[in-house]
Amino acid sequence: MAPVPKAQARSWTERYPELGTGPLPVEPYISPAYFALERERIFRKVWLNVGRVEQIPQPGDYFVKDLAICKTSVLVVRGKDGVIRAFHNMCSHRGNQLVWNSHGSCRAFTCKFHGWTYALDGKLHQVTDEESFFDLDKAKLGMSPVAVDSWEGFIFINVSAEPAQSLHDYLGEDFKASIAGYPFAKLSGNCFSWYTDVNANWKVAHDAFAEIYHIPTLHRRMIGDVYASKGNPYAHALEFKVFGRHARVSLSANPDRQATAVETLAGRFGDVVLQQVNTDASAFPKGVNPSAYPNWSFDGLAVFPNCLIYVSQGTYLTHIFWPLAEDRCRWEIRTYAPPAENMAQRFAQEYGKCSFRDTLLEDGSTLERTQTMLMSGVKREIYLQDQELILRHRLKTAESYINGNA
Amino acid sequence: MPQNHLPAGFADLEPYLEWSLASEQLRSAKRQGSSIEALRAFYAAMMPRMEAVLEFLAGFAPQAVTDDGVRTLFLMTLSLAEIAPAVENYGQASVIDGYDVARFVAVHE
Repeated sequence: MAPVPKAQARSWTERYPELGTGPLPVEPYISPAYFALERERIFRKVWLNVGRVEQIPQPGDYFVKDLAICKTSVLVVRGKDGVIRAFHNMCSHRGNQLVWNSHGSCRAFTCKFHGWTYALDGKLHQVTDEESFFDLDKAKLGMSPVAVDSWEGFIFINVSAEPAQSLHDYLGEDFKASIAGYPFAKLSGNCFSWYTDVNANWKVAHDAFAEIYHIPTLHRRMIGDVYASKGNPYAHALEFKVFGRHARVSLSANPDRQATAVETLAGRFGDVVLQQVNTDASAFPKGVNPSAYPNWSFDGLAVFPNCLIYVSQGTYLTHIFWPLAEDRCRWEIRTYAPPAENMAQRFAQEYGKCSFRDTLLEDGSTLERTQTMLMSGVKREIYLQDQELILRHRLKTAESYINGNA
Repeated sequence: MPQNHLPAGFADLEPYLEWSLASEQLRSAKRQGSSIEALRAFYAAMMPRMEAVLEFLAGFAPQAVTDDGVRTLFLMTLSLAEIAPAVENYGQASVIDGYDVARFVAVHE
C-alpha cells in the first residue's frame, strides 16, 4: 500500500508565506462591527452559490433564496428561452415581496397584494387598474435584476449593482480547471438536504467542516478510522493548494478501516456518502485526486466565502453557511448521488445519509459551545496548525476584502 | 399506511411492522423515542434476514407501487439504516454528545 506522502512539518502553510503562521484574532467571530463589514465588503460584493441548475430544469421553474446577509430575497427563474435569470423578489409598485413560496413553477409572477404581473424575463406585463395611475412607464418597472451565472451546474448570484468581475473571473481559470470533468451533472439526480439555524458565527460553522484535524477525536465513534490510519494517525492531507481566493484539500482513505455490519451490507448495494475508498486513480479527470493516490477519499473545495464542496467517488456534498448575525447562521447541507435504481440501492443511500447526518450532529455540538466561549472575550486569539490551512486562508482572504485589498 | 403483512417468505419480520415509516422524520423520531434494547431487538431481527431482503428488494424500483407489502418491507430497511448508528456506533438511541436532531430540518422525505 502506498504510504501517504510525507510532507515536512508545517510545510503546506509555509508554501504560502502571505498566510503567515501566527495566531489569528477572535474578533471576526464575535464582533457586530466586523459582521457589518462582512456584509458590505464581502457578501454584497462577491458571487454566492445559491443552488443548482437541476432545481429548475423546465421553463417557468423557479426558487427563492432569502439572503438576510445581502438584505434581500432573490428569485431565480428559468425563462421560456431556457435562460436562468435572477431578480430581487420585489414588486415595483410599493415593494411587496413578489413570490412567497420557496420554489415552484409558473407562467408569470403575480403580486398577491394588487395583482401586478411580471413575465418570466422580469418585464412588467400587467398593472391592475392601470388607467388610474399617472404616467406609468411599464417598460421601466420590471423586476430589478440580480447578476447570475453558473459553473459546473452551481448557480451563483451577485447582488452588487455592477459586479467587479464575472463569475468565471471570480473563480479563476486554475481553480475551475482543478475540478473540470468531475461528473457533477451525472451525480446530481438525487439530493438529500438538511438545514439548521445555529447560534454561532457562520465562520465557526464553516471552520468546523474545513479541516480534518478534528475527525480522529470528535468523530472517533463514527468515522475515526475513515481517514486516519496506522501510517497516518492524524489524517494528514495528501495535498493543499491555494487558488487565489479559493482553496482545495485532498484526502486519503484508510484502506484498513473496519466497516460496521450495516455499512458493509450497504456498500455492496451502492455508494455510501463520505466513506469511499477509490482504488482507481485513473477513474477521474486530471484535477481530481491531484496526487493520483491509490487510496484517495475526497477533495474538498473551499469556494470563498461560504461554500465547501466535497467530491468523492459516486457522490458529492456541499456545505453552505449563511450569516444571520454575528452570532447566528443558517447551515445548509446537501448530498448528491444518482437516483437509486432499486430499493436495495436506496437502502444503501439511506444508510449513507443517516450515518452522515449523525456525524454532522457530532460536529454540530461544538458550534454553539465554541461561540459561547468566544463571546466571553476571555481569549483574544485562536491557534491554527498546518492542517488547518483552509481556515487560515479563508480568514486572510476575508481580511483582504475587509481592508479593501482584494 | 403500511400493510399489515409482508411479502411471502418474510412473515417472520411481521412483529416489527411498526418500523415501516414513510419519512426520515418519522423514522428518526421513532429511533429517538425507543430504548436501546428495543433498537437492538429490531436490529437483531433484521440483520440475519437482510441478505435475502436486499436481494428481493433489488428487483423493485424505489417508487414502485405494490400492494403486496413490498413497500412495507422496504421502509423497514430504511428504519434499519436509521437505527444502525445507534446500535453499532453509540450504544444509545441518540448521537453521544450530539446536536439536537430535531433542530436538523430534513428538506427531503
